Amino acid sequence: MIETRELRREFGGIRALAGVTLTIAQGERRAIIGPNGAGKTTLFNVLTGELAPTSGEVRLAGEDVTRLRPHELARRGVARMYQRNELFDPLPARDNVAIAVAAAAGPYRPFRAPPATELLMADELLERVGLGAQRAIPARALSHGERRQLELAVALAQRPRVLLLDEPTAGMSPTETGRITELIASLDRSLTLVIVEHDMDVVFRLAERITVLHEGRVIAEGTPAQVRGDTLVNEVYLGKVVA
Amino acid sequence: MPVAAVVAAGLLVAFPIWSAPWESSRYATGILRDMLVLAILALSLDLLVGSAGMPSLGHAAYFGAGAYAAAIAGQRLGSDDLLLGLGAAILVSALLAFVIGAVAVRAAGIFFLMLTLAFAQMVFAVAFQAADITGGSNGFSGVRRPMFLGLDFNGPDALFHLVAVVFLIVLLLVWRIRSSAYGRALIGLRENERRMRALGYDTTRLRLSAFVLAGAIAGVGGALQAYSIRFVSTNDVGVARSVEAFVSVLIGGASTLLGPVVGSVVVLFIERVLPSFNVAFAETVLGLVFIIFVLAGRQGIVGLARVAYARARG
Repeated sequence: MIETRELRREFGGIRALAGVTLTIAQGERRAIIGPNGAGKTTLFNVLTGELAPTSGEVRLAGEDVTRLRPHELARRGVARMYQRNELFDPLPARDNVAIAVAAAAGPYRPFRAPPATELLMADELLERVGLGAQRAIPARALSHGERRQLELAVALAQRPRVLLLDEPTAGMSPTETGRITELIASLDRSLTLVIVEHDMDVVFRLAERITVLHEGRVIAEGTPAQVRGDTLVNEVYLGKVVA
Repeated sequence: MPVAAVVAAGLLVAFPIWSAPWESSRYATGILRDMLVLAILALSLDLLVGSAGMPSLGHAAYFGAGAYAAAIAGQRLGSDDLLLGLGAAILVSALLAFVIGAVAVRAAGIFFLMLTLAFAQMVFAVAFQAADITGGSNGFSGVRRPMFLGLDFNGPDALFHLVAVVFLIVLLLVWRIRSSAYGRALIGLRENERRMRALGYDTTRLRLSAFVLAGAIAGVGGALQAYSIRFVSTNDVGVARSVEAFVSVLIGGASTLLGPVVGSVVVLFIERVLPSFNVAFAETVLGLVFIIFVLAGRQGIVGLARVAYARARG
């Protein structure tokens, strides 16, 4: 579903990505882990078209999408849950999701009210992420955990083929973390998930395969059991977290 | 509510008739007409400033382009057809907005503001220099009053009816736009452009479309202005007119339907009516009012009234 070949991205003299090659199958659930500064968020920014790579190639379902802009990738089915919520703060939760649902039909409908089906879909999604009772509350008035849930609902509203989750549980309480982890686990199996996460319990619960990034390179890749047993990974990352 | 709105609309259009017994009826009709013309300009500007979060300080360029287009098309083609005049105004102002917008919408915030101002100054310079076509500093006089379906809008009352009806059509149009999927997308643009892109909205195109739409509506206002005073001058494309519209939007309430209308009424009341009561320094009063709203009431009159109403209801 997603393939990258020798992705490089430099900022000034700093190499954020130093040749990342990945192959993620359709319906796969892949976690990308690594210490801060490993290049995880840069990788996401390249995969969504927000950053152009210095060199290398990105393919989506076989198509070369390396130079496409974010909205073009979104229309091809790439959605993203941002690490820092990107919401429409003064708008009610429902409108946040409705704008996302409406993206498929496009904005050029200037003289008609949005169809009721869009609002119904928005309500269903809010129900699903556990915000059914908060639909009329402006996004800015929601708690941090609720805002993360809304961020997920907005991404799901695009009916994506690929969902990039950038630290979905960041800043959440253990209860909230458990809830959103189960929610993500229950998503449609045909959806390809790529998860960046520091909470290893969440990673082991969700991921079928794990890629370990360190200083912009892939240093290990495999099943959770393989990665857990990798001495290099333990040295640069897991050792510090798990031990 | 709809009944009240229809009654209000009827009273507005018929203003010269029911105010006739009043000594100052003629004078008031003229002022009200100019308020409605400014309101059309302010309504179109608010689609950018309020809805889409695009603070344009050069919106008079499209207003003036519409005024010149209606006046020149009427003269050159020897026609006083209203549809020809309005059509020329919409076409020219939309085209101008497209050309300028194609560059300007790539910037945001203060840079967008500076670009729109700079481009409007260029349009002003062209209107000033191209004296063969526009009349330059002397202005373009002798604008023909329009005809439509055998109706002659030559008299001041008839012209008022025309301006009021077009104003109501524009108001209805803007109301529909604001409550449509398109209007909601503009608000999304204002609140979080990054998220809009990530959702699949081509935000550059969306901003350009809003710029052209607002420009075209401003052009309609310009045409009515040309018909009203039968004269077009470089003032109509000048920065003072852009500021007047901008101040109207902010005082009345940005991102509200009626805010720009209320603001236009307040601004022209201060500028044109206060001096006749021997209030000196009317412009200074306007400046003070503006400063007060910027410091203490950024939601504008309509926004503040809404808050007060919500509070009163609990």
